[in-house]
Amino acid sequence: MSEVVNILIASVGGQGGLTLSRVIALAAVADGKSVRTGETLGMAQRFGSVVSYVRVGKEVHAPMFGYGEAHAILGLELIEVSRNLHYLSNGASLFTADELKPPISSSLGIADNPRKADLIKEICSKARKVKGKVYVVSAKELAAKLGNPRAMNMIVLGAFNREFKILSDSAIEKAITQLLPGKKGETSIKAYYVGKSLNIVPIC
Amino acid sequence: MQKELNPLKAPAGTRIALMGNEAIARGAIESGTYVITGYPGTPSSEVLMTIHEFGKGLDLYAEWAVNERVAFEIALGAAIGGARALVTMKAPGANVASDPILSAAYSGVDGGLVLLIADDPGPITTQTEQDSRWFAELSKLPMLTPSNPQEAKDFVIVAHELSEKLKLPVILRTTTRVNHTVAPVVTGDIRPPCKYVNFVRDPPRYVRAGMAWNRERHAWLLGQLSKVEEELAGFRVNRVEGSGTRCVVAEGVGYEYVIEGLERLKLRDKVKVIKLGQIYPLPKEFLRHALNSCEKVLVVEELDPYLEGKIKELAYESGLKLKIVGKMEGLLPEVGELGVNPVVDALKRFLNLSLQVETSISPLAAPPRPPPLCPSCPHRNTYLGLIFGILKAGYRREEVPIFGDIGCYALSVNPPLNAIWTEHSMGASIGMAMGLKLSGFKGPVVATIGDSTFFHAGLPALAEAIHKRVDMLVLILDNEVVAMTGHQSTLTWGRTEMGRPTKPLKIEEIVRGMGADNVAIVNPYDIDKLVATVKEYLRKPGVNVIIARAPCALHAARLYGVQKRYTVIPEKCKECMACIKITGCPALYIGEDHKVHIMIEDCLGCGLCAKYCPFDAIVEVKSNE
Repeated sequence: MSEVVNILIASVGGQGGLTLSRVIALAAVADGKSVRTGETLGMAQRFGSVVSYVRVGKEVHAPMFGYGEAHAILGLELIEVSRNLHYLSNGASLFTADELKPPISSSLGIADNPRKADLIKEICSKARKVKGKVYVVSAKELAAKLGNPRAMNMIVLGAFNREFKILSDSAIEKAITQLLPGKKGETSIKAYYVGKSLNIVPIC
Repeated sequence: MQKELNPLKAPAGTRIALMGNEAIARGAIESGTYVITGYPGTPSSEVLMTIHEFGKGLDLYAEWAVNERVAFEIALGAAIGGARALVTMKAPGANVASDPILSAAYSGVDGGLVLLIADDPGPITTQTEQDSRWFAELSKLPMLTPSNPQEAKDFVIVAHELSEKLKLPVILRTTTRVNHTVAPVVTGDIRPPCKYVNFVRDPPRYVRAGMAWNRERHAWLLGQLSKVEEELAGFRVNRVEGSGTRCVVAEGVGYEYVIEGLERLKLRDKVKVIKLGQIYPLPKEFLRHALNSCEKVLVVEELDPYLEGKIKELAYESGLKLKIVGKMEGLLPEVGELGVNPVVDALKRFLNLSLQVETSISPLAAPPRPPPLCPSCPHRNTYLGLIFGILKAGYRREEVPIFGDIGCYALSVNPPLNAIWTEHSMGASIGMAMGLKLSGFKGPVVATIGDSTFFHAGLPALAEAIHKRVDMLVLILDNEVVAMTGHQSTLTWGRTEMGRPTKPLKIEEIVRGMGADNVAIVNPYDIDKLVATVKEYLRKPGVNVIIARAPCALHAARLYGVQKRYTVIPEKCKECMACIKITGCPALYIGEDHKVHIMIEDCLGCGLCAKYCPFDAIVEVKSNE
């Protein structure tokens, strides 16, 4: 792996994609690493496409990276993942929640309304072209069991860090506590460990 | 929050991950800035929001102002008395504030005055890709541009020092990838707040009614500008990295892309990088020296080829034999933001390296996700009520132009509402509706404007429309907050974010006081009443105002929780899609069973979908969150 790890977070506004990118940034700094994030938010407070670029390493300069340069994609929603697959680098890993939030354009019949299973299949066939690994996690379900479905972002983070091991658990705990004080933070920390302990294998 | 994690209170020498705007807020505290104001606008809003979140108990004034020009005037008033002030705005806000900004260059200041102008290449959330570096030239005010959050913080302090030394306001110009980037920042010492010192009457300086004084001050201003480079010399805002005859001049986030690109090409020591933090006036001495050994120069900058032109001019007047290239030669695009890839391509062409195309797979053709109004948004009801009211009044939709304005409600442009016809600049809805009407347009015209936008720039336009007796319907969409930029206070609040008690202004009293012919206050969730009022007001002559008042649903949910949500009984859903086609609520979707479903965790319980379900398939469920 190169010195800088490029992570792309694909989510729908309101799902916690920005919190996830911030937790990684805080944890990276707590671990003494360099970090840059860049967010592309839409104009809406909710339900827009949100892309966060996170770069962790020894020395990082640019807040973004280009197509074919993500070592990992963390997805909170499958349509947003499929929209950003061109960022996958050779041999990259994709960790995504099996969550589907069809946009209004799909519901109105202006655009396709993809089925979850088809979408996962298509994501796999694209990822295969770059020898990528795809991990699908029932993140919302697992988070809901902990009492807060919104903690699904930390389940995905746990699954990612289990494979990539770029952040220490203590730094992640510290970052979550800093960002989400109180009960929300406690649930998020639990969610991170649930994600990390999942014995997941790539589905493709 | 622990003190060492509070970005404003952490002791000097702490290394924290800060967003650019948080770093600027920290810079304000370190520099002893006492008055901090501005108007919300992406990507600048988080500077004040950070102080609101973390600055409780600090001795300072940090409040939103009604618009950017008033904000600037407040900051200017503070600075002429010797206090340090910071005023923040997005690029179009600088246009609003331009009148006092230009005059302020002639009067100058005694305390430091830093003007943050945040540009938005892309654009990501702005109406134009305005390059505000031209603003420095226009106003003749010194300008600094940081490349990352650390510099953003440090440059606030440098800008204050420069401002006080030269007695001039200083512009700190950023772009989105600096404002919204998170990076490690090392904090510095905090100095006590710099408050009022004294203010003495000095008409030649502060009164612009004397033309001889104005000429005198203009000459003074030019003299001050000639000292900028020398005054900044000790701060190392400009620097040279590496050496060689092939040189790159870069500023802002462009510099970060250049370094990243050169590392990727393994050429970091083989190319001389000239980094500029001082943008106006151009640091000519520094550049002449830095460019002396260069044969070829590539200029990397976001937006316009501003520096490129300036450096070509400098080379010409200094007799430097250089080949200078950049956007004018097509090496980089003028439209959209930069990134590592376009900069790497430009470097390859500049250095005559092979343009090997990096391969990446294509994405899947995903259904588009244009930004929608949130679930339960009162604006959805307002526009539906307006559209149904237009139809009820006997007009076809295409006969009644709906002028829009800046705010969340502009998202009503998207299907299925397809509501607004225009959205230009703050407050423009009323003036434009008036112009169309008086030009001979026969049908009714409607202006729709949010509460904060109404205070910001709608007041003069409404006064004009009422005064000139131009018939129109004005809908003021009052959701009691500046929603789109992240829920900031408006003038109707009784207490600001910092806890300052305020006098809440009443929109209905203002509108009535101005002389509007008819004024109604309607809760948009009572959609039938709204439809009836629109129908009545469209037919009545005069300037008729409907204040559609209900709190922003998202803000209310955050403050008070969600009491009820809705769900679909699948057996009752007949797949007519009336709920989706009428409301366009993003919490609704069509499942694999072809029936409508609700993303229950996103439903905020307005019940609009249930109202329009002909089969009573959508029902309420209790929620206690």
